[in-house]
Amino acid sequence: MVIENLDTTPVAPWLLGPGWVDGVLLGPWAMAIEIPLLVLVAWWGVRTLRRGPTVVSHRAGLTAGLLVWGAMLLAGLVATAWFLAVPIAGETTTRTLLAALLSPVARGLHLLLGPEWYEGALYRWGLVILCLLAAVFGVGWLVAAVRTGPVEATARSGRALLEAVLDLARTSPRRVAALAWLAFRDSLRRKALVVFAVFLVLMAFAGWFLSPQSDHPARLYLQFVMIATGYLMLLMALFLSALSLPGDIKDRTLTTIVTKPVRATEIVLGRVLGFTLIGTGLLLGMAAVSYVFTVRGLDHTHQLTAATLHDEVVPGRPGTWKKGTTSYVHGHKHDVSISPSGDAVVEVQQDHWHDVTIEGSGDSAVYHLGEPQGLLVARVPIYGKLRFTNNQGQEVERGVNVGDEWTYRSFLLGGGRASAIWTFAGIDREAFPESMFPEAIPVEMTIEVFRSHKGDVSKPILGRLWVRNPQTGRQIDVRNFGARKFATDVEWIPRTLVERKSDGRTERVDLLGEMVSDDGQLEIGLQCLEPGQYFGVAQADLYFRARDASFLANYLKGFTGLWLQMVLVLATGVMLSTFLSAPVAILATAAVVIGGLCSTYVAQLAAGKMVGGGPFESFIRIVTQQNMITDLEPGLQTNVALMSDKLMQGLLWIVSSVLPAFEQFDLADSVAYGFDISWMVFGKCLLRAAAFFLPAMLAGYFFLKVREVGK
Amino acid sequence: MSAPAPFNARRRSLAWKIGYLAAIGVLLMPLFLLSHPATRAVDPQGQRGRPGGYLARLRQEYRLNQADIGQIDPTTETIRLTTLGMRGVAGNLLWSKANDYQMKKDWTNLRATLEQISRLQPHSIGVWRYQAWNLSYNVSVAFDDYRDKYYWVMEGIKFMQRGAELNEHEPRLVWDIGWFISQKIGRADEADLYRKLFRQDDEFHGSRPPEKRDNWLVGKEYFHEAEQRVDAEHPIRGLSDAVFFSNAPMCQFYYAQALEKDGTFGDAAVRAWKQAAAEWREYGDLEMPTIHDVTVRLNDQEMWERQARQTAAELDKLAPGLREKIAREKRAKLSAAELAACETPLEKRTPEQIRLAGDAELRLAVTFNEVARRVSDSRGRRAALELAEQATHEADMATWVRQARSPVNFEYWRLRAEVEQTAEAVAAHKALYDGDQAFAHGDLIAAREAYEHAIKLWRTVLDRFPAFMEDINTGEELMRVIRRYREMLKQLDEPFPKPFILQDIIDKHGQRGE
Repeated sequence: MVIENLDTTPVAPWLLGPGWVDGVLLGPWAMAIEIPLLVLVAWWGVRTLRRGPTVVSHRAGLTAGLLVWGAMLLAGLVATAWFLAVPIAGETTTRTLLAALLSPVARGLHLLLGPEWYEGALYRWGLVILCLLAAVFGVGWLVAAVRTGPVEATARSGRALLEAVLDLARTSPRRVAALAWLAFRDSLRRKALVVFAVFLVLMAFAGWFLSPQSDHPARLYLQFVMIATGYLMLLMALFLSALSLPGDIKDRTLTTIVTKPVRATEIVLGRVLGFTLIGTGLLLGMAAVSYVFTVRGLDHTHQLTAATLHDEVVPGRPGTWKKGTTSYVHGHKHDVSISPSGDAVVEVQQDHWHDVTIEGSGDSAVYHLGEPQGLLVARVPIYGKLRFTNNQGQEVERGVNVGDEWTYRSFLLGGGRASAIWTFAGIDREAFPESMFPEAIPVEMTIEVFRSHKGDVSKPILGRLWVRNPQTGRQIDVRNFGARKFATDVEWIPRTLVERKSDGRTERVDLLGEMVSDDGQLEIGLQCLEPGQYFGVAQADLYFRARDASFLANYLKGFTGLWLQMVLVLATGVMLSTFLSAPVAILATAAVVIGGLCSTYVAQLAAGKMVGGGPFESFIRIVTQQNMITDLEPGLQTNVALMSDKLMQGLLWIVSSVLPAFEQFDLADSVAYGFDISWMVFGKCLLRAAAFFLPAMLAGYFFLKVREVGK
Repeated sequence: MSAPAPFNARRRSLAWKIGYLAAIGVLLMPLFLLSHPATRAVDPQGQRGRPGGYLARLRQEYRLNQADIGQIDPTTETIRLTTLGMRGVAGNLLWSKANDYQMKKDWTNLRATLEQISRLQPHSIGVWRYQAWNLSYNVSVAFDDYRDKYYWVMEGIKFMQRGAELNEHEPRLVWDIGWFISQKIGRADEADLYRKLFRQDDEFHGSRPPEKRDNWLVGKEYFHEAEQRVDAEHPIRGLSDAVFFSNAPMCQFYYAQALEKDGTFGDAAVRAWKQAAAEWREYGDLEMPTIHDVTVRLNDQEMWERQARQTAAELDKLAPGLREKIAREKRAKLSAAELAACETPLEKRTPEQIRLAGDAELRLAVTFNEVARRVSDSRGRRAALELAEQATHEADMATWVRQARSPVNFEYWRLRAEVEQTAEAVAAHKALYDGDQAFAHGDLIAAREAYEHAIKLWRTVLDRFPAFMEDINTGEELMRVIRRYREMLKQLDEPFPKPFILQDIIDKHGQRGE
């Protein structure tokens, strides 16, 4: 499976920074105290707020507003002084002065949160949220100041903030549930279930598009069902969420609700929860139908009669084997080898094999090949970190470029010392128990082969695998093999390796005992043996296949990714519909969805990495029919266009930074390619979804509050 | 008191409704006349169906019916409807995705996307041709294992077969299938391996008997089918007639060649070459259009040349010596430099002399009409002009046939068929084959004997067909054997015989294949 940016960072370092373990506040004992303390404080705070005054006084609002302004001004001052680095005296600048003043703070944070704490996603997210809140506060204050003057504006802004805290604390789960149920029934009334009917129609005719004769049929089926489900659910979420509140405002049903003691938080949350409920039900239904469709679509059997078998002596194996070919079903057939003892080995075709049962005996025996095995799997890979060495044995950043347009893979020249080396961590007996891997440990690899000359086309290009202890440097060859391009080969590394010494002696070496370093690291190296030929590899191309997880669980995780996408669209749609009319809300939500689905492309546009320039430059090129490579003619028009493009890029950068990147939640490929979605990846998806969901909810609350109907 | 207003309103409403219904009924008539669909033109019992309304008749006349183009595919029609008029947009997106999948070597999704593209644009010949070629030629070579390559070559062929079904009158798609099967399988570097896999491909051949599973023979079948599809409404696109119709007999040539390469000689090989000769003759008898608004037959060049010579001789009889006199007059008008250029041997001419000589030789040429116009006797002049016109026409026809022959190397293959069907040629090939086999097994003595026998037989063949000496392929093949023979003699410490029996081959083709 192609993974362009293989993320192997565990959740905790990703969230809290790479040195979190060393943070005083984040140690296990500290957490054991802090978490209950935080829960207690939160409970006490909510309780106090629920029992306290329901209205925020003018003075409290003014105080809060002034505090926020003070904090913003201070932060602004610090940032300005830092980035401008105004010289003060001699070599001292504002930056050096600030560094000196803030170094105790920095050291304190370093101590409490661990080194490089600022790399943690949680802190960066917090900073972004604070900046957004500050921006919103600033804009709100400005609008209020125009109407009522700066002091009153400060009081109102502060009060709005405090009321938000109050509303949050006083949100009634019962009312939220009631509103959620209302939204659920409203969705049913708006015929949200039509989506399921459309899905069933798609499944009914999907057989016309899907061919079980494909070389990877499971991948095709699973990608189709998940993509179809994803698009349908996003469409449904878009229309449901964007039309709901404007519809209620137009029908004046919302005024009925807001005249009751219902908070804006409850309205927004209730809507989202209600739509999520119906969406979840639909998604579960679709997941079930998709599963049955996939299993039934891929199901097939073969037949093999004794009359079609012929005797054959297999080199290296005792006795006379029987070999034959099965019936042709679903665009393929299998070669079958039957040992003298009657055990059948079925060749893998289209990613699967079959178990064989025998009916009858002798020449009239019929061999039934049962259901396909190995089609629907969830491999648990252990990935390593890849590096390259060149022909002189020196480490290099990347291998050779053989002129391939797609630079995902790097190539090693054969016949020399060039190699690709993967360093694996966490290799121990627990990862590979003897009960599961009694004799050897499987390594799967997908190698690309590039021939600079044809050579003997009937034979594969030879390569070699070796293992090495990175601590001691001891290296042992595992085996030579013939590479098969674009196929996933399984190589078995014996638990007991045989090392050939230079004096001809052999020594048996325990792989996990002697070839793994003290900190659990093991290196696997790959070389191409034939001069003038090349092997191409990428980081995800070689991995240990630790075990197989449950396909069904993995399948559900994949659908959870779709569920997270749906929830985000619902949250965005509800948020936008709090202040936009129905058609505009639909368009805006659709823009967010499309932008999110194309987030990589948008990011490339924002970074100016696309050939042909930004929108203004592209427009000039289209109208004047120029190609994308040659420079525009210098002049005023070009300068204006380039400057405008820079501005657009800046705006696009801001937009792309706040758009939820739906690609990050797209787990369909992992399911389709048969790789387990690790709990690490899954956890990050959940956290990322929460990171977008919470601000959307907050924004929706504020927008609804601001509208007259929200008061 | 008048009737209550509501009752009047109801009557008015009813009247309007009746009026609308009547108008609908009236409008249905012209609609029916315009859009009434046709039933089948001729049903299986031979009964004619109804031609349908005006639009249906127009569609029939211009062959725009889906059924006239090919099979109707319900999936295709469904997709076209569901794209709601944005078929072009969907097609662009799919093409872009297909290119992306190909770049990223995601062959499974590429194949699925091509399937979708073909369903969106089922009658676009370019789509089928391009993507089938893409699969068979580009995707296949991305793989390393020859079995995987073969699989993708066949995927391209199957893709094209589907296109040919949906466009059952289009000859070019079927011709392309023939090309892929014959050329891609038969002339690739992996040709030996592909041909073997092709013979064993039961799923592709179905009930085709094993002896007919040679890729060249199957390719020929498809070329014949393509030829049958050609008619006035479905002309040949992108190829001249000469090239289009040449491929079927060429397959027979390559089949015969492949037979010998695979070690089959004797009567089977002679029959195959004789069949090739016969098919080439049949091909030469086909009427081919030319750009000069005449049709020619490739076999007729010699006939036209002979007739032109005879007519020229009759013309010269009417005015003996006149042609030479005109030639002398023209020569006298040349400048000294031009004369000198013409008299200098070709290999010694300077570039300026080449230019001068070229212009001069054009001016020196005496046409039939010039001779005829100079005939003094008026009655004789009339007859001479008629003969001149006839001779000019015959000479032109000979030239046009020669031009038409050139792209297909007509004379070479005619000669080749004639030579290869002789017993000596077959025996020579067998001897070469035996020599190669012995050499591969390390038996230098047997290899030397076989090569010497082959060389003697080739001498006989070349003496009988001297024109065959010019054949580059044979020259290269013989030079390969001569070099190997020389090496073997060196290893056996024996001198290379001088003069060598095929010294003329060495002189002519010695530099080739080095």
